[in-house]
Amino acid sequence: MSLKATLKNQKVQASPHRKPIGRVIRDNRILMLMCLPAVLFFIIFFYCPLPGVYIAFTNYNFRDGIFGSPFVGFKNFEFLIKSGQLWALTRNTVLYNLAFILLGNVLQIILAIMVNEIRCSWFKKVSQTIMFLPYFISAVLIGVLAFNILNYDTGALNALIRSAGANPVKIYSMAGIWPFIIILCNIWQQTGYGSIVYFASICGIDSQIIEAAEVDGATSWQRIRYIILPSLKPTFIILMLFALGGIMKGNFGLFYNLIGPANSQLFPNTDIIETFVFRTMMNQNNFATSSAVGLYQSVFGFILVMFSNWVVRKIDPDYALF
Amino acid sequence: MRKLAVKKITAALLAGVMVMSLAGCGGKQKSTAIGADGTADTSKHEVINMLVLGDKPSNGRCEAMLEKLNAVLKEKVNAELKLTYVEWADWQTQYNVQLLSGDKSLDIITTATDWLYAWENTQKGAFMPLSEDLLKVYAPKTYQQVSSMDDWKYCKYQDQIYFIPEDHYTQYTNHGLFYRGDWAKESGIENGDIKEFEQIGTYFQWIKDHKEGVIPWDIGGKINPGGLLGGYLNSKTDNIVIPSVNVGNYEFWMGVSKDDPFTVTSPYMESDTIYDAAELMKKWNDAGFWREDVLNYDGDCREAMYAGTSGADEHHSQTYYSKIRPSMDRKQPGSDAKMYWWGTENNNVSKPLKTHGAAAISANSQHPERALMVYDLLRNDETCYRLINYGIEGVDYTITSDGKLDHPEGWDKSKDSLDSNYWCGRNDDLELQDVQWWDGTKGMIDMYNTFAYDNPYTGLVVDKNSVEAEMSAMASVLSEYIPQLAYGKYPDPKKAVDEMREKLKEAGYDKVKESIQQNMDTYKAALGK
Repeated sequence: MSLKATLKNQKVQASPHRKPIGRVIRDNRILMLMCLPAVLFFIIFFYCPLPGVYIAFTNYNFRDGIFGSPFVGFKNFEFLIKSGQLWALTRNTVLYNLAFILLGNVLQIILAIMVNEIRCSWFKKVSQTIMFLPYFISAVLIGVLAFNILNYDTGALNALIRSAGANPVKIYSMAGIWPFIIILCNIWQQTGYGSIVYFASICGIDSQIIEAAEVDGATSWQRIRYIILPSLKPTFIILMLFALGGIMKGNFGLFYNLIGPANSQLFPNTDIIETFVFRTMMNQNNFATSSAVGLYQSVFGFILVMFSNWVVRKIDPDYALF
Repeated sequence: MRKLAVKKITAALLAGVMVMSLAGCGGKQKSTAIGADGTADTSKHEVINMLVLGDKPSNGRCEAMLEKLNAVLKEKVNAELKLTYVEWADWQTQYNVQLLSGDKSLDIITTATDWLYAWENTQKGAFMPLSEDLLKVYAPKTYQQVSSMDDWKYCKYQDQIYFIPEDHYTQYTNHGLFYRGDWAKESGIENGDIKEFEQIGTYFQWIKDHKEGVIPWDIGGKINPGGLLGGYLNSKTDNIVIPSVNVGNYEFWMGVSKDDPFTVTSPYMESDTIYDAAELMKKWNDAGFWREDVLNYDGDCREAMYAGTSGADEHHSQTYYSKIRPSMDRKQPGSDAKMYWWGTENNNVSKPLKTHGAAAISANSQHPERALMVYDLLRNDETCYRLINYGIEGVDYTITSDGKLDHPEGWDKSKDSLDSNYWCGRNDDLELQDVQWWDGTKGMIDMYNTFAYDNPYTGLVVDKNSVEAEMSAMASVLSEYIPQLAYGKYPDPKKAVDEMREKLKEAGYDKVKESIQQNMDTYKAALGK
């Protein structure tokens, strides 16, 4: 928040006597140099491939190349509509991401506050480390772990149920339960890592305010409610907006490893754009169609970001990204 | 503010586009003139890169063989051979990506019209057209051999030859189920010979009842999403699979029968047999003949069968007589492994396509002439043939007194195999009979020869361009329904089949069928029938 405000102030001050661009670069050359890798990264991996989007409108063959292949207009997009799944895919992708973002951020804040309240320093460090660990476990392993816990014949969960004398459950045939499992896995993986940002902002709160509140007799709960939570609001909103930018992008690794390519019983509730594109690619080797799906995803995501930014700007321009 | 942002974005976009268009100006490949005098100029040393399918070996045997082979090749045609592997993990994607990438270093490409997308890649321009003159000059022996069987016609697209068929190599690649004869006998099946599809159920049930810890068929649905559906259709209808028009991973389009092969149909849509198949699979699933979570399981069924924890495995005849039977005899003595091939009861068995293996020259090859010369040697020269197929004599293989192929003492197939994976130019004239193969191999092949019919679709080219969108849509419908039908996961299979049919119709079934039928009619006319 404060950084953003200062930047804005600087702009206001600078605008009457605008420095020539060469001068600006020279004055800030170290800063410029520092952001050069990021700028290059985006140019090379995000802007350079943009003309390739054209593949989505061609009947691609590699002898003629991207721009030589015959132009077919929106024919590749037809397939998306014909398969009748466009709506379901979009819905799944967006809903999963909303759940990840909202639930994830709320839990991250709670976790950060809880860690902040711990007074015993070694316990604080140990618990932070343990919460951090899941982030470094790859999705492949999570898939294997899940299968070994949940499967019907040899899974740990069903072994437990059997030994208790009850009927085992066929989890891999129950589509309805999978949204919970997937969200649980995602949160288990991301929460510890994500809470770091919030923890850092809590540490950034002026300790004098908190001390003053304590002197005035505020309870822990009151401190959290009236000091910490309001100070986290800007961080929360900015993180939220960033996350919204990726709302059409799914966590392919997690979904693919948990569900796999064959168990179509679960697809109605678990298929997201990424897994669908991957299966189409694998089955049809159709680059043009998968580019078409990719383009749809990007355009839809772009509209969504612009829209949410517009909404935020309406409510409070200070919080808008641009 | 907003205006500025838009300006910035536009500028960045423009910069990106400009960088791209600069990078896009690649060099065009030079074309090499064909030697007209009939003798090839081999003064310059060339490296010929051959694309093969399979896991890259790490035991050093292949490298040692290549060293010897390259000495011979250098002397004969001043070239050396390099192998590039497309490994089995995700091989379909890997293979097509490798070809689509337009890699300039590739020369010889292993391909096939039924399982390696030869026609698709021909249409996409991955292969170099091979003129008869070129073949005559640079691969004379191969040219003569293929001509003598009049097989070039099977390799033509728009009147141009695009690949060389592996047409003088006998193998049967019809699929079926491998099972244990000893258990089948105990289960009450006469002689332990499964003669009918339903008897598989009897066999599986016996295993379920009598062999604790053994899963009747411990298959992973991630690897085999089609299960036994295709096998059932093959055994219960006269339909013949039309190769190279798979919808997704499934063999969907078929000809009506060997007497009427040129009428296109699909049992998934137009036959009641699929209802029976789906019902049976549901019964088998409820009986627990495979894991409950089969669709999320990806274990190795063959290893499980070798270890005695799976009662069956599925693949083709050549796998049976070259691998399964000998391995089972060694690892499970007395198991009497047998094969129930799809079509046992109705003799619906097709011989493999002449183009089940083929060699193409990459469209980007820098020295196609030399590549053909090397190929001609690999296929027809005894020294080269034995090196690429069997390795170094005395180290990798030995020849028995009666001229059969054997391996030296202590040679272990699982550790010491050569894995050169040369599947695009094997040749019965030079092929040695392997003593480690099942000794009933010849009998089995002779038996097939009595009733198997020639595949009627060897030269059929289906142009899928006009129906690509519909095919993709159909593939996505199938990928939803087939795995669940195949492993009996729908509570009401009949309803599911009807639903699937409706969705396939919506996806454009009729349009695709009409288009394939048109190609079929053209092909039929070309054959003069």
